[in-house]
Amino acid sequence: MATITTANFRKGNFIEFRGEPSQIMDFQFVNPGKGSAFVRAKLKSLKSGKVIEFTYKSGESVEELPINTREMQYLYKEGDSYVFMDNFNYEQLNISEAMIGEFKKYLKSNDTYQVLVYEDTAVGIRFPKKVWLKVTEADDGAKGNTATGATKTVVTETGAVVTVPLFIKEGDTIGIDPETGSYLERG
Amino acid sequence: MTTWRKLKRRPQLWQRYFIREKVLRAIRLFFEDRKFHEVETPLLISHPPAESYLDVFETTLLDRNRRSKNAYLSTSPEVPLKKLMVAGLGNNFALTKSFRNMETQGNLHNPEFTILEWYRIGVDYHDIMKDCEALLLSLNSVVNPGANNQLIYQGTNVDLTPPWERLTVSDAFAKLAHINFDDFLQEAVARKTAKMKGYNVERSTTWEEIYNQIFLNEVEPRLGRGKPTILYEFPSVMGALARKKKTDPRFAERFEFYIEGLELGDCYSELTDWKEQQQRFEGELRELSRLGKTVYEYDHDFIEALKVGLPECSGIAVGVDRLVMLLSDAKTIQETLLFPADELFGV
Repeated sequence: MATITTANFRKGNFIEFRGEPSQIMDFQFVNPGKGSAFVRAKLKSLKSGKVIEFTYKSGESVEELPINTREMQYLYKEGDSYVFMDNFNYEQLNISEAMIGEFKKYLKSNDTYQVLVYEDTAVGIRFPKKVWLKVTEADDGAKGNTATGATKTVVTETGAVVTVPLFIKEGDTIGIDPETGSYLERG
Repeated sequence: MTTWRKLKRRPQLWQRYFIREKVLRAIRLFFEDRKFHEVETPLLISHPPAESYLDVFETTLLDRNRRSKNAYLSTSPEVPLKKLMVAGLGNNFALTKSFRNMETQGNLHNPEFTILEWYRIGVDYHDIMKDCEALLLSLNSVVNPGANNQLIYQGTNVDLTPPWERLTVSDAFAKLAHINFDDFLQEAVARKTAKMKGYNVERSTTWEEIYNQIFLNEVEPRLGRGKPTILYEFPSVMGALARKKKTDPRFAERFEFYIEGLELGDCYSELTDWKEQQQRFEGELRELSRLGKTVYEYDHDFIEALKVGLPECSGIAVGVDRLVMLLSDAKTIQETLLFPADELFGV
């Protein structure tokens, strides 16, 4: 394990919190009235998937967990977990619904993803900058109302609902930023 | 996307931003009704009050011959208002901008922010508590007419009807963190307590850091839920410009008020003793230099004013952007600002 300080915090980092492997979901700087600076982090336990808030002293040391990345193919959903396979040795790993989080709505069977592994347990997916998905449901663009900024919502092949410009039609392939869920471009 | 683009795209967003103008107007009306004077205080100043926890913006004033002088952006209107009270101003308020550096990357801070300070002559901090109750009721009735003292913030109903809950820091620590505060005031006990609770305590960790870390983790998130909380009687070391309690000098006459975990204001029975003020300033300057922050001369003219005599008074600083957040049901301070700093500077 490597020691880092709160200055190195990044969204998505994996750290140890009171003996439990955890992921930093989000963090904020806070300054209490007449006090030094603190960092308030949202931490998700890799074991239970539970999210808690903890406030660190600014500059406090924490242990960063060693995480490996493996290229794996998404196969299917089984109960509460998502099954991935390593295409070289056919080893399969499951990611729980709690750990995959919002990304589940972009997962496409047979596509390859970067799976994050901590001590032989798959704990998440490294978000790609962009995911490409086919639009399966879209209203006629002409119905768009310019007062609301000339956008409409469409549904993708994975079930994700995305706000897009009016010119997007059913059957188009669109690029989405999985971090924010926002439309980027038409393929 | 910048805010003006978002507004262009979704004009219905304007309604939320227009709440700010209602709040500013209602604040002025509230104090006008109570016969307070509004004064303008300088934003560009020569001597910030010495406060080691604040980082100041530093700039340079050039005279006609390009000779330079250090200049700073004001961190609060407090010192000029106190000088004016020495001069005989009476009850007063300022609704102005203040600047605090290194306050980025947080949902509750913007380096440039709007601050409301008001002072009452001849009263202690209990009277300011009543002002806070009345002000919030009045603002809520302007922004949410007919809401009958109720406010919805992020899906939770808050009942603003006075009297609000009043909790001493000591009681809050006992109730919410199970700490005997009398013992906790001793540094060795505080260190042991924090360690037992699983906090990281190093040799360099100060009592203030331990206090605030426990406060932020165990106390603050539970304050003002469903009804505002006034947290009062702070340990003297956190007293800043507050006067010590006569009956127990371990505590200072300071309060903060919270609504839904949001700290909205910070009040003191003001320190009027020039000697103690000078000592505190000197201590703060030593701390600034120890922390490697910008060190500046403190305002000797302010000490001179205190020697002439500041009348007994109490005053409070309220974060107006946070008030707007609360009254417009915004999740972040950035959503109340048309030009938030993170957009302007990409931080």
